Amino acid sequence: MQAEQHQYSFEVVKWFVYMSVVYLVIGTGIGVWIAAELAWPDLNFDNPYISFGRLRPLHTNAVIFAFGGSTLMATAFYIVQRTSHVRLWSDKLAWFTFWGWNLVILGAVITLPLGITQSKEYAELEWPLDILISAVWLAYTFNFIMTLSVRRVSHIYVANWFFLAMMIMVTYLHVVNSLAIPVSFWKSYSIFAGVQDAMIQWWWGHNAVGFFLTAGFLGIMYYFVPKQANRPVYSYRLSVIHFWGLTFGYVWLGAHHLQYTALPDWTGSLGAAISLAMIIPSWGGAINGLFTLSGAWDKLRTDYTLRFLVVSLAFYAMSTFEGPVMSSKTVNALSHYTDWTIGHVHAGALGWVGMISIGAIYHMVERLWDTKIYSVNLVNLHFWMATIGTAMYIIAMWVSGIMQGLMWRAYDDYGNLTYTFVESVAQMHPYYALRTVGGFLFFLGAVVMLFNITITIRKVATNPANKMSHVAGI
Amino acid sequence: MADENNSADENQSEQVSDTGHSWDGIRELNNPCPRWWLNSLYLSGLMVLIYLILYPSLPLINGSSKGLLGWTQMTEYKEDLAEIEARRAPFEKKFSAMTVPEVLADQEMLNYVTASSKVLFGDNCAACHGVGGQAVEGLAYPVLADDDWLYGGSTDQIMMSIANGRQGEMPAHEGSMTNDEVNQLTQFVIDSSNAVLNEAGKALYMEQGCYVCHGNDAKGITEIGSGDLTDKLWRFSGDFEEVRYTILHGVNDNSDPKTRQAIMPQWNEKLAVMLQAKANAIAENQDPRMLEWNKVFEGDETERLTESDIKKLTIYVHQLGGGQSLSQ
Repeated sequence: MQAEQHQYSFEVVKWFVYMSVVYLVIGTGIGVWIAAELAWPDLNFDNPYISFGRLRPLHTNAVIFAFGGSTLMATAFYIVQRTSHVRLWSDKLAWFTFWGWNLVILGAVITLPLGITQSKEYAELEWPLDILISAVWLAYTFNFIMTLSVRRVSHIYVANWFFLAMMIMVTYLHVVNSLAIPVSFWKSYSIFAGVQDAMIQWWWGHNAVGFFLTAGFLGIMYYFVPKQANRPVYSYRLSVIHFWGLTFGYVWLGAHHLQYTALPDWTGSLGAAISLAMIIPSWGGAINGLFTLSGAWDKLRTDYTLRFLVVSLAFYAMSTFEGPVMSSKTVNALSHYTDWTIGHVHAGALGWVGMISIGAIYHMVERLWDTKIYSVNLVNLHFWMATIGTAMYIIAMWVSGIMQGLMWRAYDDYGNLTYTFVESVAQMHPYYALRTVGGFLFFLGAVVMLFNITITIRKVATNPANKMSHVAGI
Repeated sequence: MADENNSADENQSEQVSDTGHSWDGIRELNNPCPRWWLNSLYLSGLMVLIYLILYPSLPLINGSSKGLLGWTQMTEYKEDLAEIEARRAPFEKKFSAMTVPEVLADQEMLNYVTASSKVLFGDNCAACHGVGGQAVEGLAYPVLADDDWLYGGSTDQIMMSIANGRQGEMPAHEGSMTNDEVNQLTQFVIDSSNAVLNEAGKALYMEQGCYVCHGNDAKGITEIGSGDLTDKLWRFSGDFEEVRYTILHGVNDNSDPKTRQAIMPQWNEKLAVMLQAKANAIAENQDPRMLEWNKVFEGDETERLTESDIKKLTIYVHQLGGGQSLSQ
């Protein structure tokens, strides 16, 4: 362990890990606030800077790019070193990645509440920040590829394939979707117009999910599940097939976000068909992770970190089934524009991305700081808060979403709409309140995590005797 | 916590071999893909093929493949719409040929109009007048569910209000009256609503010319929509300070920035478009009389109500509880 600490470049990983926990608290905190604004609109206090429209992109950017991005950077740098048995190719580039990425996040925190936005979902940041993102992302990618190229093992581990797929595709997606003509320092117009712009936007939007939030996090799964369970990966062949299945398939899906719009019919049906074909490759990843645990299931009783990892795979399997079903035209006609979509996104975001990241972070903290976590009970408490919170959130949105869809399309015997729009809004209130409570539980869990990890790090920093190698019985 | 290698598991281990590599202690087994998973994968490939054959899904040089089902979203939309319109058609046809009194006398048509107006009213009127015309608590908009009418409660008068909108006017009096006079008049208005005689107030009311709009009996004049000051129903509020405020700053008197705003928009589509077109013409120094009306109405997408919608809403509002007979 001591030797590893010198062999690998872990300082930058530590910073990414800590910041990702901080961003988890901030991002989910803003999410809870805007969820409460939807349930009790007076909470915007007639202040434009904290109104839903301004804070919602801040929430999505904070959880996806600040929290998710920091986690991906921490884990990629951690995994690529340990599975290539070599130190990071460049420490300087890694630090540039850290500071650059945090600068982007700072930019988001300032510009989004001011209403400076490209109005592209999940790509709201204006062109100067887009350029900074590109530079940082390329530095991250280049460093990763160069580290792989100097690896001391013959083959590249599967986790790294997924990271590589993510890095290449996100570069491509981000650059094309962000092509714009600046008219001032904080205003630009997309070079695409009308339905082409919508198509490019959702080609990006869905692949932010497919590559940023799926491929990258599958890379995390492929390292931390076998490592934490101390079991070999179940099937190499399965990992190859589902890797290429997802990599070739995902880029076609974007059009399913635009069913029944001005988009030509063929794009929508192609998107839906390929979406349905993605269920099985997605499950390939989920079962490969779950079967890796065979013979180690008893560990779930005592290993709370492993619990996070396993539950995340269950949510992954569930939401990768739900998504394709929602993309088919028949179901989409009911589900589109309703809260069901929000529920689906959060099944993936809280259940899959959140839980797998949390598991990976607890695993890394003990090894990066060479110590034991301050309180195992608090990890257990966090696990239950996160799981119950996520379940409440999803159930509330399923009920309200399906109810919305049914109310909007209800006709009476005379062929008149049965409900006014506002009646459907009024019906949502209890579910919006329940969603706020569920989200608040998840947020509280994140606060517990930040506390637990901060104390853990402080104890090591103030007293090196707390290092694992010094603790008796380890 | 996990050991840093897998050696502990070797003895209870699988018969399955591994790939022979080890990354940071992680090995990969040579298990085949589960049979059910592989079969599902082939099935989903087959399903994609079927889907691509049935639906328009492949781009060609001109347009795209049509798909065996001949499905397009426009045909689906038109079919759905036709189904709904077929349900409405017999009622709509009958309704358009009937006068308002005829509808009021026909229970079946009345049911139809009530059902279709519920959503019309909810989406267009309820934001101010409240669900079922009960007004929104805390907002000063007229209640439509009682029998107190500013502009009259007959169907003709209601239709006029909806189609052309209403904008009453009361001048501000802040500069033209002393503080004492304003207080005295305020007291008179409150006394009138309580049927308390206030001789001095009445004299001031006449002297200041309030009767011109509110009438000699202070019961208001329907033709100009001035408020009845002798009942306990208030357009704004019966609170002393609020009544005083109305007298001081008036209603819709743009010479006073503190004036009360009270405007019912016009919902007659053509009228709204015409007025806008005229205003545009004047702003552009053109003669509004030279406007070509069929061009003005062409491709108009305003979300105002159609003639049939206004007729339905007239009947609906009349039925809310306070409709007055047609002769009134």
